[in-house]
Amino acid sequence: MPPRNDEYMPPKKQQNFATSFKELEEITRWFETGEMDLDQGLKKFERGLELAKLCKEKLAEVENKVKEIKVKFENE
Amino acid sequence: MSDPVILSVADYLALVNTALASVPRDLIVEGEISDYKIAHQKWISFDLKDEGGQAVLKCFMTMWQLQTQLEDGMRVRVTGKPGVSPRFGKFQLNVDDVQPVGEGALKRAYELLKKKLLEEGVFDAGRKRDLPRFPKRIGLITSRDAAAYGDFLRILNNRWGGMEIDFVHVHVQGREAVQEILGAFAYFNRLPEGPLERPGTSGRVGDRPEVLILVRGGGGLEDLHAFNDERVVRAVFQSRIPVIVGVGHERDESLCDYAADMRASTPSNAAERLTPHRDQVLYEVEVMARHIETRFVERVADRKRRLETAAGAMALTIERRGMDLQRIVRHLHEQVDVWLPPLCAKLDATMRLLASLDPARVLQRGYAIVRAAGRVVTDASVLDADMGIRVQLANGSVDAKIVGGKRKPGQQALI
Repeated sequence: MPPRNDEYMPPKKQQNFATSFKELEEITRWFETGEMDLDQGLKKFERGLELAKLCKEKLAEVENKVKEIKVKFENE
Repeated sequence: MSDPVILSVADYLALVNTALASVPRDLIVEGEISDYKIAHQKWISFDLKDEGGQAVLKCFMTMWQLQTQLEDGMRVRVTGKPGVSPRFGKFQLNVDDVQPVGEGALKRAYELLKKKLLEEGVFDAGRKRDLPRFPKRIGLITSRDAAAYGDFLRILNNRWGGMEIDFVHVHVQGREAVQEILGAFAYFNRLPEGPLERPGTSGRVGDRPEVLILVRGGGGLEDLHAFNDERVVRAVFQSRIPVIVGVGHERDESLCDYAADMRASTPSNAAERLTPHRDQVLYEVEVMARHIETRFVERVADRKRRLETAAGAMALTIERRGMDLQRIVRHLHEQVDVWLPPLCAKLDATMRLLASLDPARVLQRGYAIVRAAGRVVTDASVLDADMGIRVQLANGSVDAKIVGGKRKPGQQALI
């Protein structure tokens, strides 16, 4: 059910590509270890796929933004 | 005839120095260094010799004015202020600037500086910092007119996206180069740290970049002078932000290359060193996703298998018990002819016994049951005269009254 307009939406945590990729690596490592609690496994599985999707979206970003800075140089 | 002017020595020398002051300050004198000396690690003196060896100019400067390495035999160009030092009465050039000249001198100065910095540890591999794998904000220092600028950005755009590039335009050679490059480094290093260190904030221009890129095209020693300048090399070394340096072609080298955290062979290579290629990373992401999925499914299947095995074992046990029960029941049925008849016989016998003990049968034989006050009487002594009794016969009952005559058993009775 989509939230109503007046419903409070908490701000999204700062998630950039680097943090998403790192978290995905951690989850992959977790799945390598032997025993697994299935409840946790399901949660991590879902989170892992979510992160992979996020990463792919970020990778599709093509543009780099160039902004020129004017720096005052000291005179010799 | 006027009187000749008489001066003290000091005054005379002051006059001479005044006259010398009219010699243009920006004249450049070229010659060869000899008798190069450093006293008390502060005062530098050398003789500037004429090519023909016929003229000598004594030069003097301080350590902190020195911006290049000098040694005997080196050909240099000097600017400065001529004067007579009153104390020693010596004519000397107070040096403003000295630059090596000619390929030989430049190379020599370069090699001397390289040796000095190497010994100081400026080029040590151990101090070089790691670069972030996926940089978000970088600082670019180069000339916008240089091919290096276009090359770097083009390769970067091919490889990676979503980056913020703060660009500072500088001269990469010429008079202004050193000061402008130093200014760029100073600017970036002064910026406050960015959102990676302050989570929850979003990045913006004015935040310190994660990596600095210093690039330019190729050239000879004279072209690359700024990149071999001691001050610039130290700025690269001391930068709090890691630096990638990419100069010209593969063969070109500069001292900044050695001081950098990462040396790129060309400006294009600098882009390759800075970021991975998005295709490669995409592949890695997909591998990881597939991996997670496979492992998860494996675990679920494994758990399911184990559950089925346990369930199967339980079912097996139940089945076996059921079979045991069935066997017992079947056995019972099979043996019925053995155990049932005796049981019936016993039942019959018990029933017959019961029947024989039935009081009604006794009554049939002519006996009566006497009750007094509702209770059966077996002892005549409890019966007194005029007591009421009830007599039950085989057929019906009568009420009677005791007339008298208790007798013990065996005695005859008159009614």
